[in-house]
Amino acid sequence: MDAVLEVEGLKKNYGSLEALKGISFQVKPGEIFALIGPNGAGKTTALRIVATLLSASDGKVTFLGHDLKKEPEKFREKISYLPEEAGAYRNLKGIDYLRFMARFYADSDEKTREFVDRAKSIADLGTRLNEKAGTYSKGMVRKLLLGRALMTRPHLAILDEPTSGLDVINALEVREIIKKFAAEGISVLLSSHNMLEIEFLSDRVALIDKGVILDSGTSSELKEKYRAGNLEEVFRSALR
Amino acid sequence: MKKFLNLLAKEIKELITLQLFISLLFTIFLFYFIGQMAKSEMKRAMRTQKIAVLDMDASTLSQQLTDSLNMARFQVEKLRGKSKEEAVEWTKASDINLLLVIPPGFGESLSTLELKEMETYSFLRSFSIVGSRTSVILGSVISALNNYISDDFLKKKIPDFSPEKLKKPVRSKDFVIIKGRMAEGSASSIAGFISNQSLFIPIILMMIIIYSSQMVISAIAMEKQNKTLETLLTVPISRTSIVTTKMLASAVVGLISAVIYMFGFSYYMSGFMGDVRQQVASEGLGRVIQELGLAPTANSYLILGISLFLAILCALAMATILGVLAEDYRSAQSLIMPVIFLVMIPYFLSFFSDIKNLSLPVKLFVWAIPFSHPFLTTQNLLLENYTAVFGGIVYMLVFFIFLIAIAARIFSTDRVLTMKLRFRRKKLLL
Repeated sequence: MDAVLEVEGLKKNYGSLEALKGISFQVKPGEIFALIGPNGAGKTTALRIVATLLSASDGKVTFLGHDLKKEPEKFREKISYLPEEAGAYRNLKGIDYLRFMARFYADSDEKTREFVDRAKSIADLGTRLNEKAGTYSKGMVRKLLLGRALMTRPHLAILDEPTSGLDVINALEVREIIKKFAAEGISVLLSSHNMLEIEFLSDRVALIDKGVILDSGTSSELKEKYRAGNLEEVFRSALR
Repeated sequence: MKKFLNLLAKEIKELITLQLFISLLFTIFLFYFIGQMAKSEMKRAMRTQKIAVLDMDASTLSQQLTDSLNMARFQVEKLRGKSKEEAVEWTKASDINLLLVIPPGFGESLSTLELKEMETYSFLRSFSIVGSRTSVILGSVISALNNYISDDFLKKKIPDFSPEKLKKPVRSKDFVIIKGRMAEGSASSIAGFISNQSLFIPIILMMIIIYSSQMVISAIAMEKQNKTLETLLTVPISRTSIVTTKMLASAVVGLISAVIYMFGFSYYMSGFMGDVRQQVASEGLGRVIQELGLAPTANSYLILGISLFLAILCALAMATILGVLAEDYRSAQSLIMPVIFLVMIPYFLSFFSDIKNLSLPVKLFVWAIPFSHPFLTTQNLLLENYTAVFGGIVYMLVFFIFLIAIAARIFSTDRVLTMKLRFRRKKLLL
């Protein structure tokens, strides 16, 4: 099956610091692909480049046949990005925020309503959606943003640490939502330093450290290769 | 266009908050309250003043002087059968702020015109406008007494002549010429009127610029702090639209706020300055202003409006760039300072000096600041210096286009996320 996203030899320099040293990976349709690694490994930088926020210093990123450098707007129409620890506009009601974001993707009022309805069912915030986002807990904001990210059924959802800062119950709910949408055909590129979460969520994993992909494969392939019981042990072995 | 309007509506909604309403209402109330207080203080200061007089001379002259004060619209309280110390104590206990003591033998000394010194006691009970008026009243009392005595003396010595003509033999008929137009009137009253009229323009401009710049810097800083900017930059809308809507929303809310502020401020100023329309009517200034071509026309309002609007746009573009440098909401508060300084320089210069009289390097520096031009526009329009007016407008337009190009460029590159003016140690998010 053709990949939705192809990343080849991606490099990113911040001055003299090499944040990414030529990483390559692919994301297939309906696949959850995860970048895992410690803080400062280059996960967020890679995700931000694919999300059109940062420009690559070198390498090629292709999404559904479109080159990121030449057609970033084609990316923006079909992707959805959830930054780590992102917030919503504090003075907007949850429902207004969803409507506001839906209007960028919808070509009619009917489509806007469809997107908002889907986001409402994902966020599952009930009547709290009629209150300002400034009054929400961290978990509620995360669910609202996840609803926003998935409401358009993007070709690729880019999720940076989707459960960061959430309690166990909220984290579980968010993981279930991501799984459900991927099963419906949405490709997901996510990053996390929570390796147990990744093991539960992802179809394939890339281990990244200091801007380099150390290894990649399915969780079971990697565990078998490194004779490890879980991904944390895999990562420790890959680092040696 | 639909996406642009969607974003613009969100930006305006984000800026119009309950806090904004409360702050505006509070400011208007405060301005109104202070204005009303000042108005009533001024009224109190202007009404008939009371004076206590202890006449220790009891001569015809001292009697006439006391009566002359009555005629000069002072309310005289004559103290009888009291010593000086008792008179001081009595006045202290009363609400009268001035005691005049006419010494014994005062009337007799008139024949030589070497009058004995009167004693005056001013009771400063507060340092408000009314309190500080005591010295003015004292001056008026002494002036009224001097006039009475000198007029009386002159009438007796030269009965066929009017004392007024003798005291002020040289009289003048004043004309004012502005750009070839001439009218009969006093230069000082016209200058005063124009200065009063144009006083509001720098204040309006300063308020709008500071207020709108603050809003745009804070809006960008808040977007960065909450990471909503990252989401916004990945939605299908051009980066130029993101910059433009932020500026436009801040300009709209800034203008509305400034109008509301000015409404309150006009109450405040009218408390101190009185009604300008009354001034025009009472001094016949209206006719002179018409004859000199100083009356504002629809065109001059339009040109002034364009000049003000361009200055606001320049400030907003500058604030947008500074907003990108802000790491969070707190650092945004410090980053507004360069804009405030650039507004303050022409603001104070326009109040305290004539920019035309400055040295060439200073003049060039002032002209290089885009906000200087609207400060000068009113005067230049009145003096028909159209080259300066339109030159300023063209300069601000070029300056704005240059800044907006920089802002749009920043928003189209990594810099919108990576450019930070750090007040702490450097840190990169990987």
